[in-house]
Amino acid sequence: MVREAGTDETRRSFLKFAGAATATAVVAGCLGEDDDEDDTPATDDDEDGTPAADEDVDIDEVTVTQGSVTDTLDPIDHNDTPTWNILDQAYEPLVYRDRDGELISLVATEFERTDDLVVELELRDDVVFHNGEDMTAEDAAFSINRTNDPDQSQQAGVIGAIDEAEAVDDTTVEITLESAEPAIFRNLSAFGRIQQESWVEERDDDELATEINGTGPYELVDFEEGSHVDYERFDDYWGDEPAVVEARFDGTGDDGARVASLQGGDSDIITDVAVEQISEIQGDDDVRIEGEPSIRCLFLVMPNNDGPFDSHEFRQAMNYAVDVDSIIESLLNGFGEPTSQPTLEGMFGYNPDVDPYPHDPEEAESLVAESGYEDEEITIVTPTGRYLADTDIAAQCASDIDSLDNVSASHDEWETQELFDVTDTGTMEDSPDIFLIGWGNPTFDGAYAMNPWFMEGPFWHFESEEMEDLLTQAADEPDEDAREDLLMQANELAHDEAAWVFLNQQYSIYGASEDIAWEARNDEDILLKEIFAAE
Amino acid sequence: MGLGKFLIKRTIQGVIVIWGVVTITFFLRFLTPGDPVSALTPPDAGPEVRERMAENLGLNDPIHIQYADYITDLLMLDLGTSMRTGRSASIMILARLPATLELALAATIISMIIAIPLGVISARRRHQKSDYAATMFSLLGISTPNFWLGIMLIILVAVVVGPIPTGGRDVSFWEATVMLFLEANPRGFGNWAIHIFLPAITLGTYFTALLTRLTRSGMLEELGKTYVEATRAKGLPETLVLYKHVLRNTLIPIITVLGLQLGTLIGGAVITEEVFSWPGIGSFLIQQIAYRDWVLIQGILIVIGVGFVVINIIVDAMYAKLNPKVVTE
Repeated sequence: MVREAGTDETRRSFLKFAGAATATAVVAGCLGEDDDEDDTPATDDDEDGTPAADEDVDIDEVTVTQGSVTDTLDPIDHNDTPTWNILDQAYEPLVYRDRDGELISLVATEFERTDDLVVELELRDDVVFHNGEDMTAEDAAFSINRTNDPDQSQQAGVIGAIDEAEAVDDTTVEITLESAEPAIFRNLSAFGRIQQESWVEERDDDELATEINGTGPYELVDFEEGSHVDYERFDDYWGDEPAVVEARFDGTGDDGARVASLQGGDSDIITDVAVEQISEIQGDDDVRIEGEPSIRCLFLVMPNNDGPFDSHEFRQAMNYAVDVDSIIESLLNGFGEPTSQPTLEGMFGYNPDVDPYPHDPEEAESLVAESGYEDEEITIVTPTGRYLADTDIAAQCASDIDSLDNVSASHDEWETQELFDVTDTGTMEDSPDIFLIGWGNPTFDGAYAMNPWFMEGPFWHFESEEMEDLLTQAADEPDEDAREDLLMQANELAHDEAAWVFLNQQYSIYGASEDIAWEARNDEDILLKEIFAAE
Repeated sequence: MGLGKFLIKRTIQGVIVIWGVVTITFFLRFLTPGDPVSALTPPDAGPEVRERMAENLGLNDPIHIQYADYITDLLMLDLGTSMRTGRSASIMILARLPATLELALAATIISMIIAIPLGVISARRRHQKSDYAATMFSLLGISTPNFWLGIMLIILVAVVVGPIPTGGRDVSFWEATVMLFLEANPRGFGNWAIHIFLPAITLGTYFTALLTRLTRSGMLEELGKTYVEATRAKGLPETLVLYKHVLRNTLIPIITVLGLQLGTLIGGAVITEEVFSWPGIGSFLIQQIAYRDWVLIQGILIVIGVGFVVINIIVDAMYAKLNPKVVTE
C-alpha cells in the first residue's frame, strides 16, 4: 500500500484525482518550541521494532482500518475514539498534547489564565479553513460555545465548566468559566474542534454530518457512510506538510477481518487487535504489533453503600486476592501494567509513592475475617467485548477471590449497554454489588479519573467525606502545584480506602505494516501527520 | 378471481403485515434495556439537561401519543430524525440501502448460476459420483456459518492468493454503470465486481446449497412423470427435455423460495456486511443498536419489513403467472 508518490497508480487514483500538496508552513511548537522530536518516529529502528522513518519520502496512500466508520462528520455529534481518529485529520483543537501528555500549542500559540474565572488564548494568524477562508477568533469562540451547548453537543460538560467564549480581537479568545476549572486547557486539548461560524450556520444537520471544513492538514475527498472517509493533503495547511498524500479510514467490526486486511495489504494500520491474534501478526514478517499503554484503566467498582463492600477491610481483601500480574501475563500476553490508583502514571496528579496491592491470599483471608463478612457470595458483573479481554479478566478475578477460604465468587456477563444503563444513574443501589469497568482519561488530569466516581453525579459509587473534600478543594484550587498535591492525596486515599479493585492499565494494540514508520500514541489518537515511510 | 384482484388482496395483506412490523418495532423500544437519553447526553449531564433532551425527543409524551405521531409521520413517508445526528432517518437509511440490495441480488444471481445447473446435473446423474459431489456440496453449504466462511475466504482468497480486496466498497453499482456507459470506463465496474465477489459468495453459499437441493428434488419428481417419457419418445434432445420441459415445471417452488430467500438476504446480510466492511443496512443496524438510536433502528426494521413484503407480492405475481390455478383457488 505504501508507494512513493507519483510512482504508481493507486487503487483509488483512477476514481478520484488527488492533488499533490506542496504546502510549506510553520512548525507546530510548544509555546514556540519545536516539538517535532516528540512526534516523529526514531530515525533508527527502535527497541520495540518500529522501523526507522525516511522523512524525505512521500507516501502515496495509507489506509487505517478501525472497528467502525463514523456516520457523522460533525465533530460535536459523538465522543468515541474511532470517530475522533477520523475527524482529527481535518478538524483541530486549539491546543494539543505531545506523546508524554504535556500540553503543546496548536491553533493557539499561547494560553494562560488571566483571572480565577477567565482564560485567554492567543491564536495563530495564518490559519485557513479548507474552503480557503481565514480562521478568526470569532470562529474559535463560536466552536467552543457550540461544543459546550448541551442541546446539540455530546461533549458539553466534558469540555469543562465553561460559561462563554468570546473573541477579544482577531486573534484572541477569552473564555469565562463557571468555576476555577483547573483542567480547562487539558479539556481544550481533547474537545472543541475549530469550525467556521458562517460555514456551520449556512448548513443543515445533514450537510454538517457529511461535509468537512476544518483547518487540519487533510481535507475531505470522499465520504461514503459506513464504508470509508477519504482524505488528501491540504495544500494551505499552516503546519508542516505531512508525508502521507492520500489516506482512507475504513472499518470492520470483525477482529479477524481487520487482521486479514492488514496481512492482505489492504490496510496499513489496524486498531484493536485481539489478544489471541497478536502471535499471528508477530509471525508475519510484513506486519508488526504496535502496543502502547493507553489512557484507559480497568477496575472493579465496589459501591460502598451496602455490605460487604461498605467494609474497608473487605474491599482491601479483594485487592489482595486478585493476582493482577498473572492476569497481565496469562490473559493479556504481557500487554498491560498493574495500577495502584485511579490516575495513571504520567498523568497530572499521579502519586508515585503508591504501589499496587501485592497478590497475598492469606492477607486477603485475614482481612475478610476482620471485616465480619465471612462466607459472602459475590458476583462480579462484566460488560462483554467492551474492553480488551474484559470477560476473561472478570472470570479470573472471580476465580482468584473464590479461591479464598472464606468468600465465594463468580462472574456474570452482561450486555455492555445494559450495564452502563444501571451504573450511570447516580444511585448506587441501581448498580451491581461489584462490577468491572474501564475508564479512559483523554484530559490526562487526575480530576477526570476521580471526580465522576467519587463525587455526587451519574457515576458516583464511592462515598467518602474525606475524598469529596480533597476533590472539591482541587476543583477550586487555581495553583497548579497545590492542586497536584491535592490530587496526589486523593489518589493515595483511593488506594488506602480500596475504593476499587485496581486492575490493569489497558494497552492499545495495533497492527501496522512494515512499510510505514509509525508509533502508537498512549492517548489512542492516530494522526496521519505522524506517519512516515519506513527506510 | 382475476390476477388484478389477486394482487390487490395480496397488497392489502402486505399493508397489514407492514403495520404489524411498525407496531411491534415501535413497542419493542419500551421493552428493551437502554435509555436513549443516556446515550445522547454527556457523561456528567445533569438532570435538567437529560429532561430537556427527553422533551426535545418527545420521549415525555404518553406512549399512545408517540405512537400516533409516529404512524402519522410514516404515512407521509417520514421515518423521523436521527436522535444522535439530527439527520433525516430516511436519507441515512436510503444511503445504505443500495449496498445491501446490490449484495443480496449479486448473491442471488451467483446462487442461481451455480445451483440450477448443479441441481439438474445431480438429478440427471442420480446416484453417480457427480450427484454425490453435489449433495455433499449442498450439505456443506447449508451447514457452514457465514462468519466463518467469510473469514476463511478472506484469508484463503484475498490474503494468500490476492489481488481481491479483503473488504470494503469503493464504488456503487450505479456509479460503476455510469462510468461504464457514459465514460466508457470499465474500471469502475471491475472495481465494484472484485469488491462484491467474496461477500456475494459468502452470503449466497447457503442459498446455493438450498437451491441445489430444491432443484434436484424437483427435477427428480418431474423426471418420473409420464410427459417426460412422451417428450423423449417424440425424439427431443435430452438437453431440451431437461431444461425446457422438466426444469420449467420445477421452477414454481424454486421461484417461491427465491423470493422468500431474497427477502431474507436483505435482512440477513448483517454478519456478511460486518465481516467484509460492506456499507449496507445490516451493518448500519448493528451500529445504531450500539448507539441506541431508536429512530434509525425502527426505520431500518421497517425498510427490511417493507422489502420483504414487496418481494413476496412480486413472487406471488410471478407464481400466479406460472401457475394460474393459484389465482382461481
